Amino acid sequence: MSNEFKLPELGENITSAVVSKVLIKAGDTVKEDQSVIEIETDKATIEVPSSVSGKVKEVFAKEGGQLNIGAVVFSLEGEAQSAPAVEETKETPVSETPAPAKTETKAPVATSTEAPKVTGGIKDVLLPELGENITSAIVSKVLFKVGDVIAIDTPLLEIETDKATIEVPSTVSGKVVEILVKDGGKADVGKAFMKIQGDDTVKSAPAPVQSTKPAAQVSEPVVVDTPVESKYVRTTMDELVVMNEELKSPVMTAEPPRAFMEMQPPLQSKSAPAAPSVRRLARELGVDINQVPGSGIGGRISIEDIKAYVKKLNEGRITLSPSSYPQSGFVNIKQEALPDFSKFGEIERKAMSNIRSKTAEHLSYAWATVPHVTQFDKADITNIEEMRKTFAPVVQKAGGKLTMTSILVKVVTAALKQFPQFNASVDMGKKEIVYKKYFNIGIAVDTEYGLMVPVLKNTDKMNLTQISVEINNLSEKARNKKAGIDDLQGGCFSISNLGGIGGTYFTPIVNTPEVAILGVSRSQLEPVYIDGNFVPRNMLPLSLSYDHRLVDGADAIRFLRFISETLENPFKLLVEG
Amino acid sequence: MNKTQLVVIGAGPGGYAAAFAAADLGMNVTAIDLDKNPGGVCLYRGCIPSKALLHVAKLLNETKEAAHWGIEFDAPKINLDKLREWKSSVVGKMTGGLGVLAKQRKINYIQGRATFTSSKTLKIDKVDGTTEELEFEKAIIAIGSEITTIPAFNIESKRLLNSTSALDLPAIPQRLLVIGGGYIGLELGSVYNALGSKVSVIEMTPGLLPGADRDLVQHLSKMITAKFEKIMLESKVISLEDKEDGILVKMQDKNGNPFEEKYDYVLASIGRRPNTKGLGLENTKVKTTQRGFIAVNKQLQTDDPNIFAIGDIAGDPMLAHKASHEARVAVETIAGHRTAFEPLAIPAVVFTDPELCWAGITETEAREKGIKHEVAKFPWAASGRATTLDRTDGLTKLIIDPDNGRILGVGICGPGAGELIAEGTLAIEMGATAEDLKLTIHPHPTLSETVMEAAEVFYGQSVHIYRPKRK
Repeated sequence: MSNEFKLPELGENITSAVVSKVLIKAGDTVKEDQSVIEIETDKATIEVPSSVSGKVKEVFAKEGGQLNIGAVVFSLEGEAQSAPAVEETKETPVSETPAPAKTETKAPVATSTEAPKVTGGIKDVLLPELGENITSAIVSKVLFKVGDVIAIDTPLLEIETDKATIEVPSTVSGKVVEILVKDGGKADVGKAFMKIQGDDTVKSAPAPVQSTKPAAQVSEPVVVDTPVESKYVRTTMDELVVMNEELKSPVMTAEPPRAFMEMQPPLQSKSAPAAPSVRRLARELGVDINQVPGSGIGGRISIEDIKAYVKKLNEGRITLSPSSYPQSGFVNIKQEALPDFSKFGEIERKAMSNIRSKTAEHLSYAWATVPHVTQFDKADITNIEEMRKTFAPVVQKAGGKLTMTSILVKVVTAALKQFPQFNASVDMGKKEIVYKKYFNIGIAVDTEYGLMVPVLKNTDKMNLTQISVEINNLSEKARNKKAGIDDLQGGCFSISNLGGIGGTYFTPIVNTPEVAILGVSRSQLEPVYIDGNFVPRNMLPLSLSYDHRLVDGADAIRFLRFISETLENPFKLLVEG
Repeated sequence: MNKTQLVVIGAGPGGYAAAFAAADLGMNVTAIDLDKNPGGVCLYRGCIPSKALLHVAKLLNETKEAAHWGIEFDAPKINLDKLREWKSSVVGKMTGGLGVLAKQRKINYIQGRATFTSSKTLKIDKVDGTTEELEFEKAIIAIGSEITTIPAFNIESKRLLNSTSALDLPAIPQRLLVIGGGYIGLELGSVYNALGSKVSVIEMTPGLLPGADRDLVQHLSKMITAKFEKIMLESKVISLEDKEDGILVKMQDKNGNPFEEKYDYVLASIGRRPNTKGLGLENTKVKTTQRGFIAVNKQLQTDDPNIFAIGDIAGDPMLAHKASHEARVAVETIAGHRTAFEPLAIPAVVFTDPELCWAGITETEAREKGIKHEVAKFPWAASGRATTLDRTDGLTKLIIDPDNGRILGVGICGPGAGELIAEGTLAIEMGATAEDLKLTIHPHPTLSETVMEAAEVFYGQSVHIYRPKRK
């Protein structure tokens, strides 16, 4: 009986749980077995049924909070009772009876359950019959001390007879005022071994109560007023050392030796339940076994648990597998610990923007999974530059800007038609190559938020003006954060033109699952040997990175040559494009 | 100067285990010991000879106990020379075998005493009088312990025995005084008692086998008190004096009153201490503790990274099986494995009659340290096997973590207990729960059932005793 409901044992090794839901509130009437809270343990989500009935006074469990086993979940108003009786009391009177009246009744109820009432006079407690022909026994342990309040059936003594070790339970209740035996001492059947200040109402005790002084009957009455435990003073070789010293022996030194039986390894009460072989494996793998969750009964740890934990640890470092491309295999790379940079000078830490962290993640993945090769070439764009300038005003009228990028989109589209393995993706999981029948080209755009790659759709169906206008639109969208998901996905090939800024060549990273990317640098006037003479030509450096899983070197240079030749002779577009 | 990859100093149960393990891992090994063959104190002057004699003691005791079953024997005729010879043959067989094993493993076994001259070199004073210098990459010190002596007791008398000379059975004394109520004294006292001596024990502390749980010791004390002449607790020896017909021992009882007795022989078994003298540790970076043990880490590595120490010299408990386990850890560490000496329990056995043994924590320790525990006991009076042996004077107890039922300690007292403790040790190492022990079928009728039944007691369901679980 209790006016509180405490979190009961939930299972082996579970010492606390997180409250995921509180199903009751103050004022609710709770019945026994009604679910009152929902808790999450390591193992499962469990509804906890009440073991008490009554009106809820206060709920102590909070959603999201932690509760230890034994902690009070809620308290009840007034006198709580267990099960059936409550059915009657609860229905009618609880709501009508004012709360204070009930609170008053609370106290005495609690006391009477927790400790027997201590009233009445001092009595002797006698050692009961222990068995046939047993008249006395050795007390191996006194299980209580003066001042303890004992109840009927509380074990009082552990005694050794010739036959066995027996616990002697109490037949009376009350407060211990005197103990007449001691550990290792003798106790006689039928004689007093302690005195209690008892509850007069306890009359059922089988041992006849005697009023004579027990001291005379017990050989060595001892009043023990310290905890019995302290009687076993550690009698060790420490004392042997003292003896040696008394005997003027210099042999032993100050550090106290331990006695034979005490030389056990320190108790690791929190040590993981695992076989020595499993603990050894954990050590070899550099894993603290106490951190490994065990899957067995009572949290027992198996070799499989260790392996799973190690795998999880590794994955938890850097997982270079964006969920969008799980078929491409996975890479586990351990994150190296960063040095404390502030040791070397002032630093500032800032959170990565989402786009930066995604870029980092995606490029790391691409870098780690795609076997990259970069092929370089130069295209003579002297003629096409002239034409670009000539046609620029036309395009401008349409709202676009005729740039080398738009020309490259057109040229690359033609190249992709010619070399379908560049308009493809690798499915390593299925060991298949995905060929695309559409032509979408991504353009790397430098925005103030970071790198974005908007995708021009169906470039094979667009003329240069349309391409130029569309590039303009998409770049604007990207710079103004207006680009939608649709604008950023579905690419077949990417172009990254850094020519506006400078540089000669670079090695772009393939925007996987695409298989190639064209890097464009700044064109320069160079002397080119033509027909026996060096002539100044405008040369455009091109860098083609490709996924060697699908594209071989010869194909790549053919692809790149096609682009260069087309730039040099755009008529090719009409012939082959 | 000769070179070796690994030198092992001392070839006792720690040293020879280390040398053999290292050789098996492909190392070039030199082992140095004063004795002719590997074996050390354990085989030459300790475990093995004492157990041979205790076996004889058991037989002698049982012939007396048989009277109770209606079978009487005449008083035995004891041929001490023959007994000594048999004991020596046991030792010879074991150590000789180890010598062969060392040869088979191509271990360079040198009979001599080694002294470090630096962190990389040793000087060996060989038994044949020559000396040798040796350069090593790694060293394992496994030199062991020696008998603790008390100068005041060092009287020149053949009647004053220590644990080594007592094993040589110089005579069967009429009256023997054992100084020290520890396991060596009690074991040897038991041997002499069985051979016919009147044995007395004098012990400083209030009980025999200090440190062990009293409920276990009680069975042993009861037996010993009945067989021995006198057990003097809380008493001490003041002086020894050699007389023509014995040793006059001046003692002091627990009330401080002096008294004296004359014994034919006195066996001093005060204890053992680490054997670091003359090792030349001062020429290395090895550090020792206040008590003279060599300080080591969990890999048994000393403060000198090339030098390891195992066994008695590396700390308590001074037990052979601890030493050989440490040997493995040290060798594996040298071989580059990631390993550590981290047992959860080291079993300890006192080979008296009844035997008393322990693994894991004791109840006393649990109580003193405030470790949450419950004790489950199964008295052997309820064991069928113990009853057929007419030896119900035993107890099997488990110290259990009440939160999860895990076995934290196991204590057993009774004949054959030393064999039973292995199960308890395994249970602790495996992280087994009382339920695991309970659910494991134990053969009937054996004493091993007491372990299972003690576990059942924890759950209040033992078949053979009635003790409902406390609510």
